Amino acid sequence: MKIQILEKNDISMRLLIEGTNAPLMNTLRRIILSEVPTMAVDDVVILENSSALQDEFLAHRIGLVPLKTDLDTYNLPENCECKSEFGCNLCRVSLVLDVEAEDHTIVVRSSDFKSENPTVIPVSNEISLVKLAPEQKIRLEAYARLGKGKDHARWQSVSMCTYKYKPIISVNTELCNSCGECVEACSRNIITKTGKKIEIRNLENCTLCQDCVKACQETPKAVKSSWDETSFIFAIESTGALTSERILREALNILDGKLVEFLKQLPVKKT
Amino acid sequence: MIIPIRCFTCGKLIGDKWEYFSRRVKEGEDAGKVLDDLGLDRYCCRRMLLSHVEIIDEIIRFYETGKQQQMRPT
Repeated sequence: MKIQILEKNDISMRLLIEGTNAPLMNTLRRIILSEVPTMAVDDVVILENSSALQDEFLAHRIGLVPLKTDLDTYNLPENCECKSEFGCNLCRVSLVLDVEAEDHTIVVRSSDFKSENPTVIPVSNEISLVKLAPEQKIRLEAYARLGKGKDHARWQSVSMCTYKYKPIISVNTELCNSCGECVEACSRNIITKTGKKIEIRNLENCTLCQDCVKACQETPKAVKSSWDETSFIFAIESTGALTSERILREALNILDGKLVEFLKQLPVKKT
Repeated sequence: MIIPIRCFTCGKLIGDKWEYFSRRVKEGEDAGKVLDDLGLDRYCCRRMLLSHVEIIDEIIRFYETGKQQQMRPT
């Protein structure tokens, strides 16, 4: 397997993975979507809420706020030694929100949260939670836990995780009359014309729409669009809770764990 | 009511982008360009901001005026 990084930063990552197959790529995708744990609020104790939003509306909004996750310190509640329903310091973080609008309308933002652990904070300070008219007040305590995407979307670590075959577009120079029809048809600007020559660039952006083939007037077609079934372009976009690299690493660790467990279960028990 | 925290379809964070978006659009900029600047490249996230109406502003006016009436001497 050969892996080439096409693009990488904390939030998103694009890889070209060669010499593999679709089932493995799909396994990785499904693990990233549903098994990589992140931190999110799942219990809210509302002490006072005189805002225009109902308690459950507000609690739902708070739950969806992505929190920066520290996977090395915190345990999943089901794996934590405390075995407590309420949680302990190793599986729960409390965030307090205490805001009152005094004489003019204010916007309550994610930056108003006071976290027990300064590293577990909302990924953005600008998320508007609710608006308060004068004299309205919110006082609540929110408890964040680690969780998995398969239990609820608020724990999903990515907002996008996709793979596609590596496209192959080729122009047969003997058949091509450089009419430029395929250049016009391509919505991704992959096919360009320089002088009398048709050139292909940024091939990884191709969606395999086949528009270039349909546009070609020659018979047989001068443009050929196909894909490589052993090469994939794999893309992730994180919600900000974890870095894109960390998500991929965690997913691979989880896959390893699952395979070890599978091997352990494999031998037939003699009865 | 108020801008949703995340995109309904993909789950991308959009709750922190509304104020910037609505301010620039009110100033007369092209909405599509502002969405590009915000890094919203999928149509699911783009429709979240494009089709949003901040109704909470209308509702909050009732509370604001209610407050003023209370304060008015009788």
